[in-house]
Amino acid sequence: MATESSDPSRTDRLVERTESGLDSGRFPMEIINDEEVYQAELRRVFARAWVYLGHTSEFEEPGDYARRYIGEDPFIVTRDENGEMHAFLDSCMHRGAQFCTAETGNTSHFRCPYHGWTYKNDGTLQGMPHMNEAYQDLDEEEIQLQEANLATYHGLIFGRIADEGPSLTEYLGDFTWYLDVLFNATEGGLTVVGEPHRWEADYDWKTAADNFSGDSYHVLTTHQASLETKELELGPWEELDDYLEAAYLSCTDSHCAAYYLSEDPDTYMGYPEEIEERMHEDLTQEQRDLFARSVFHFGTIFPNTSYIHGIQSGGWGGPWVCLRKWQPRGCGKTETISWWLVPEEFADDEEFLDDSHSGWNSLSPAGAFESDDLTVWEGISESSGALTHELRGTEGNMQQGMGDMTDLTETVDDPVYGPAETTWQGGYFDERNSRMFYQAWCEMMSGAANPEGER
Amino acid sequence: MSTQHSRPAVDSETRHRAESFIYRETDLLDTFALEEWLELLAEDFTISVPVRASRDPGSEQDEFSSRSYYLREGIERIRERVGRLQKEYAWSENPRSRVRHVVGNVRILDAEGDELTVSNNQHVFRSYGDEPDHDLLSAQRHTVLRETADGFRIADRTVYLDHTVLNTKNITLPLL
Repeated sequence: MATESSDPSRTDRLVERTESGLDSGRFPMEIINDEEVYQAELRRVFARAWVYLGHTSEFEEPGDYARRYIGEDPFIVTRDENGEMHAFLDSCMHRGAQFCTAETGNTSHFRCPYHGWTYKNDGTLQGMPHMNEAYQDLDEEEIQLQEANLATYHGLIFGRIADEGPSLTEYLGDFTWYLDVLFNATEGGLTVVGEPHRWEADYDWKTAADNFSGDSYHVLTTHQASLETKELELGPWEELDDYLEAAYLSCTDSHCAAYYLSEDPDTYMGYPEEIEERMHEDLTQEQRDLFARSVFHFGTIFPNTSYIHGIQSGGWGGPWVCLRKWQPRGCGKTETISWWLVPEEFADDEEFLDDSHSGWNSLSPAGAFESDDLTVWEGISESSGALTHELRGTEGNMQQGMGDMTDLTETVDDPVYGPAETTWQGGYFDERNSRMFYQAWCEMMSGAANPEGER
Repeated sequence: MSTQHSRPAVDSETRHRAESFIYRETDLLDTFALEEWLELLAEDFTISVPVRASRDPGSEQDEFSSRSYYLREGIERIRERVGRLQKEYAWSENPRSRVRHVVGNVRILDAEGDELTVSNNQHVFRSYGDEPDHDLLSAQRHTVLRETADGFRIADRTVYLDHTVLNTKNITLPLL
């Protein structure tokens, strides 16, 4: 798997260059599509971070399972017979064969197709053929599938390979305030509907995660064709007098959010009116106010989970939540997995679901908006791998919002924007969320804090 | 995807017309003659492309989702999409993909009143830009053809993909 490294410290030098460059809004282009950097990312970022694996609503019954990945490693997320959640590596402890043959399903046991070793859905050994004859001295307790650490936050299930590290709530930090507003807005919380869109293309996972961290600026050009199409141009903007003035950016030290707020204090994201009565009692008045004024939210939970929550509007259909995972599939290759979620309260309302599906679908690979992004992202990946960038040390630019670049943004300080530093009009004139995304990347990539890599 | 239809009684002339229609219509997609293609759609045209999932071998659930679709639109939005694709900065198809459908196994699944349900298998080749590689989308289409005074019009189409994870950056109309 690991490639030959002619210069083992090259990645470390690139990480150092990235970190020092961020102070002046620059980054080395070559980090976007580089085999050595990618191999280091798998070990330093994906093995050490809390990585999104699924939503509890996908695992309602004992035995429910889904095949999901941490980095490129295939894990099986299960709910065992006692209702506990687990995530096991899909690799038999005998000779390493894979035993999970489907994307989703329900089973009490997994049987390896090689020699028949069988595991319960809590990861412990059930038995194997000729157990009494062939394994008289086997320590059965010792045979247990490799299990990831697991933690959930408002239904979001995260897994981590590394045993050492912050708890999930420490890892999410102040960002939980923003996640509450989206994933715990109503008493029933969100629930996944149907099956996710899945498609693989030749782009780097960082490009997508960075884009969703707060880049509204690209919409004007990348999605110009959609914005000028009659039924699509309405978008969430029809609720807004001026979409630039409605745009805010908030970021903590790792995770980033962007959102649009209406002057109308009762948008409630376009949900049916009864949502006002169903708002979760744990929300603070500020969180409730933010939700009530919202028309659009998007963001990135470092490293590779993003979301969009959009209001009912024009050609986009009803309010929808789209939860994304940028699944690395090799250097410069990423699978997009895109789930559709709705508040549990409306999960049986067929008319609502029709509308909501339509909104979610605008971001499908066949969607009127989504389809243009990947053409651009594939180009970024291919050309970022250019030798010219390596030989000349080319640096890209994320200087928006720095120094005297603009007099249009403003740091706002009001509890309704939550605990993170928040910039008004930042989505169009400030790249601070991108800089924060790469800052978080640098911290995880720095070799010094990498016990995993030294084994 | 149901293929368990009894063989409907359709005369060979109708069968031939239906087959020819599918070949011609598909050629319009390959050549991006989308305005002309729109003229072949009925006023109540609908199209859907359901998500396909790889299920547990014993599962009774259909592999094709009854909830999630890559595309599910009516005629109005399809017209909007054709207009959108023709814009210079519709980057998904600028430059245009080089698209070729290879259509086979054309069968009449059903005949009722003035409507025929026609099934065809297809491999859709797509190459793009200044690159030697290509994507290949494999699918079965079920198309409802309605007899009108102007010949057949497409009333409904479902595209059943053979992919659980798509291997192309996006699915634009000419690829369906």
